[in-house]
Amino acid sequence: MLEGSVMTVKLFVITLVLSLPLGLPFALGSNSRILPVKALCRAYVWIFRGTPLLLQLFFFYFFFPLVLGLQISGFAAAVLTYVLNYAAYFAEIYRGGINSIDKGQYEAAHALGLSRRQTMLDIIMPQTMKAILPPVVNEAITLVKDTALASTLPIVELMKATNSAVNGTTSMIPFFCAAAIYLIMTFVLTVLAGRLEKYFKRYDAKEEW
Amino acid sequence: MERETVLEMKNIVKEYEGSEARAVDNVNFSMKKGEIVAIIGPSGSGKSTLLRCINGLNKVTSGEIKLKGDTGMVFQHFNLFPHMTCMENITYAPVKVKKKDRKAAEEKAMELLDLVGLANKKDMYPAQISGGQKQRIAIARALAMEPEIMLFDEATSALDPEITGEVLNVMKKLARAHTTMIVVTHEMGFAREVADRVLFMDHGVIVEEGTPEEIFDNPKSERLKAFLGAMLRA
Ligand SMILES: Nc1ncnc2c1ncn2[C@@H]1O[C@H](COP(=O)(O)OP(=O)(O)OP(=O)(O)O)[C@@H](O)[C@H]1O
Ligand SMILES: [Mg+2]
Repeated sequence: MLEGSVMTVKLFVITLVLSLPLGLPFALGSNSRILPVKALCRAYVWIFRGTPLLLQLFFFYFFFPLVLGLQISGFAAAVLTYVLNYAAYFAEIYRGGINSIDKGQYEAAHALGLSRRQTMLDIIMPQTMKAILPPVVNEAITLVKDTALASTLPIVELMKATNSAVNGTTSMIPFFCAAAIYLIMTFVLTVLAGRLEKYFKRYDAKEEW
Repeated sequence: MERETVLEMKNIVKEYEGSEARAVDNVNFSMKKGEIVAIIGPSGSGKSTLLRCINGLNKVTSGEIKLKGDTGMVFQHFNLFPHMTCMENITYAPVKVKKKDRKAAEEKAMELLDLVGLANKKDMYPAQISGGQKQRIAIARALAMEPEIMLFDEATSALDPEITGEVLNVMKKLARAHTTMIVVTHEMGFAREVADRVLFMDHGVIVEEGTPEEIFDNPKSERLKAFLGAMLRA
């Protein structure tokens, strides 16, 4: 039990420390003008927010040994899963914060000759802090609960199962099938949410520079 | 001595995406250093769009713009950076964009703060000062980049009538110092007093252009007469 708590705390801290910054490039990328970057970042967020954490956890437990033939510890797989998952959630929070900033701020920055990078780093991002703090804290609280979940899973047992699976006939296909179903459902939701977002932004002028 | 031309616009057309009408329709315009031009016209006539084409906030659909040097812009809603003090608002761009030495930038900022009469507000945040003061800081911020032309888009329209004066006074000071300016305004009195040249725009077109006397005392077109009549009644 104690061992479990230590693991939970470790997982929590590592996840938070890595996923908080990792969310940022995905948030910025989601608004990028470079289409492939934007598509990639949106797809990433969609996949990791769109499938259950538990499924992702199992996926990574099995992925390395089955597909890459690599042994990794259950803990490492959990860290990887949680970091990637939480980065996606944080990316969405950041993106929301960035989008809430008045477009006059961008115009003023442009009129003063700031680069896009300077505009984002020094003008827009500092202003988003106030807006994103409450949802980030919310997400951190959820993470506490999610990490507890990982500690209740018998990771050692799982690793054993993985080992036998590598020798046996287990395949990744069920994971992909399950993931696909979730993704289709969340895709519909994402599209609807995107429409709504556009609808509520319909009176915003498009920037042209 | 012939003054040099700082801005030349040729056959400028602007159509916004998804809109049929031309916001700016074949405008030709040029101005010389030190000139003060006022643009007047009814709402939706394309004044802001024309101004924003000059500094690239809007992309022109067609036409050619020749610009000497940079522009500075003052917005209706100030658009100060709320997380920076007045001093930081003014020095940020000179230091980060022009790579000016911080000390020199701050000295220059102090001069500008004196010019707009707000030296005592330098360490305040925008939320801590009044609308008129915000706009004066915004003017100082634009001037700090030493632009060739200052663009004003209805700099006093968001202010209560009793405090527009403090902003107009700063603009008059700039005019007396021969700052090249384009001023989009609804303040006819200010346009008449300060401008060397007044443009009247309607439906994206410069309908009439002339000295303040020509425009305000001897309007030729029916549209300008109607517009001035409406402004007088307002
Ligand atoms: N971002 C935009 N997208 C589409 N159409 C626009 C946009 N901005 C302005 N327009 C249209 O372009 C025309 C000119 O608008 P503009 O804002 O330049 O007028 P204006 O003379 O500045 O008016 P006002 O005195 O009300 O500020 C208007 O018909 C307006 O509806
Ligand atoms: Mg306007």
